[in-house]
Amino acid sequence: MLLQVRNLKCGYGSLEVVHGVSLHVRAGEIVGILGGNGAGKTSLLKSIVGLLPPWGGEIRVSGRPTQREPAWRSISNSVVLVPEGKQIFADMTVRENLLVGGFHNPDRKMDLELVLDRFPRLGERLGQMAGTLSGGEQQMLALGRALMARPKLLLLDEPSMGLAPLIVKEVFEEIQKLRDLGVTVLIVEQNAMATLRIADRVYVLETGEIILAGDSADLLHHPEVKRAYLGKGYKEVWE
Amino acid sequence: MKVFDPRHEMLPRAELEQLQLERLQSLLVRLKRNVRRYREKIADIRVERVEDLARLPVTTPEDLVESFPYGMFAQPLREVIRLNSLVGPNGRPLVTGHTRHDLAQWGRLGARQLFASGVTVNDVIQICLGGGARQGSSGYVLGAETLGASVIAEDPSHVDYQLAMLQNYRPTVLITTPTNATELIRLLNLRRVDPQSLNLRTILLSRPVDADTRRQLQAGLFAAVQCSFGIGEILDPGLCVECEEGRFHVNEDQFLVEALDGELVVTTLCREAVPLLRYRTQVNCEARREKCACGRTGIVLIPGSRRDRRLRVNEAPLYEHQIAEVLQQTSAAGHSFQLEVLERGIVVRLEMTEDLMHDTVWPIINLQRELASEFYARLGIEAEIVFVERPPRVS
Repeated sequence: MLLQVRNLKCGYGSLEVVHGVSLHVRAGEIVGILGGNGAGKTSLLKSIVGLLPPWGGEIRVSGRPTQREPAWRSISNSVVLVPEGKQIFADMTVRENLLVGGFHNPDRKMDLELVLDRFPRLGERLGQMAGTLSGGEQQMLALGRALMARPKLLLLDEPSMGLAPLIVKEVFEEIQKLRDLGVTVLIVEQNAMATLRIADRVYVLETGEIILAGDSADLLHHPEVKRAYLGKGYKEVWE
Repeated sequence: MKVFDPRHEMLPRAELEQLQLERLQSLLVRLKRNVRRYREKIADIRVERVEDLARLPVTTPEDLVESFPYGMFAQPLREVIRLNSLVGPNGRPLVTGHTRHDLAQWGRLGARQLFASGVTVNDVIQICLGGGARQGSSGYVLGAETLGASVIAEDPSHVDYQLAMLQNYRPTVLITTPTNATELIRLLNLRRVDPQSLNLRTILLSRPVDADTRRQLQAGLFAAVQCSFGIGEILDPGLCVECEEGRFHVNEDQFLVEALDGELVVTTLCREAVPLLRYRTQVNCEARREKCACGRTGIVLIPGSRRDRRLRVNEAPLYEHQIAEVLQQTSAAGHSFQLEVLERGIVVRLEMTEDLMHDTVWPIINLQRELASEFYARLGIEAEIVFVERPPRVS
């Protein structure tokens, strides 16, 4: 197992938002975490990389406990987070953004070529300010920047956010191709359909607890997935 | 090696435990949200390791009876696409249900057993489970369909028709009960049909049998014999897989088993419609964690006898209480009786009291007929009624 999480709890102030979640990701897998607003998806990812210190539980990367390590160590554990809303450096060029991603990587110049091979459109805009790119291109840049760190495990926080449906399709196709590079992906999403199409397995998170998990093929039309989003439970068996 | 789903059946222990913990935790979330009975019982108990299971409340067959019909359902009926009736303690009715996903999973679990028995896409399967074990046929049909094997849809109602079908359709696999397999051998001998003239390659029995019976059936039908083992209230077949080494490996990615004071206790990790937490099955068992040459990592189960007073007649469960209830509906109501269970039927010995005595035998013959037909109509079993001066044991 590349990532093993057991009984993870985290929160803000006195408010616990993730209540003892366990999940795992095997090398080479694409795993999705689905859930509506406020389910605790982003907090969970932040906790895995150490941006939000866990309150309890265990996180192991390639078998090594990492729950007490600061966020900056996660890069040397080959775990890289692509945060929500892309968070690219808008006032820097595409090239600079990519090189920043490989800041600790001595072979970053070589890797830049590889990343540009993967995302040729970024190559066409190397000197352009990142803030002037379209939404889809910015997301590709965020992905490319993460790849510069040579991750084994890539954590993606809502890569579809703010993108037009056609662009979402394009971005998700790129994510699927990451598998060929030997990158394992844990993706957190509200866009259930797009995630279920590319992921091997998914977990459905609701109010900080996993209510359902399984192979994507099984959950594609699962009523519980819809229910998790609409937030509507039921009280009677006759409903 | 015949493993249908190596990703789950041969999962290394550490990964299996992680998977079980994840599934157990989400099971508890679902039970607390959707089943009132469990919400009260589980309350704030948290599970941080699979071993914490021991702190969780058990479920008994009586719980299922008390919450009959839908009290244990964790899904609204609109999501439940199949219901199965079962015989509970003392013959009281139980019901279990399946969502679409439950059925798909049942198919995969059925396929695990069939594949372990050597069934492939090239096989033709006859399923002949008769009265008592009929509800299990769903699991085998779903399993065969998952594998892509051909299933003969009709369950022959008589052993004569069964033989005709075996000769005409030439199935290679027979899924049946030990009683029916014995009956078939009897017929083959009677008709002097050489079992080798049939195309049977594998016999899959609906329940475990001892080594002697297995050898006899193997010789009598000239085919390899394998057994399956399940629990109706949970899944039968589907709880475990008998491997080529003759060991029952629990499908531990789907079920957690414990031997609680020697009793088999099962927790369903993935069932959606009627998930059960630590269900006391009333079956004695031994659970051993041992390495097996087949490569499966699931715990090995050695099922034993039943702990309750459930009898088996013609492969169907029967409780003495049910006999008393049928008698209540007849002119012999209130008479004490003694029950003898035969392989295919029962003998009921009724006490001959004064009110039953008449000048001619006709009233007694009529009563015998009435009782026999009531037993057949209500319980589906052949009953022989005998009047005795005083039955040795009074119920």
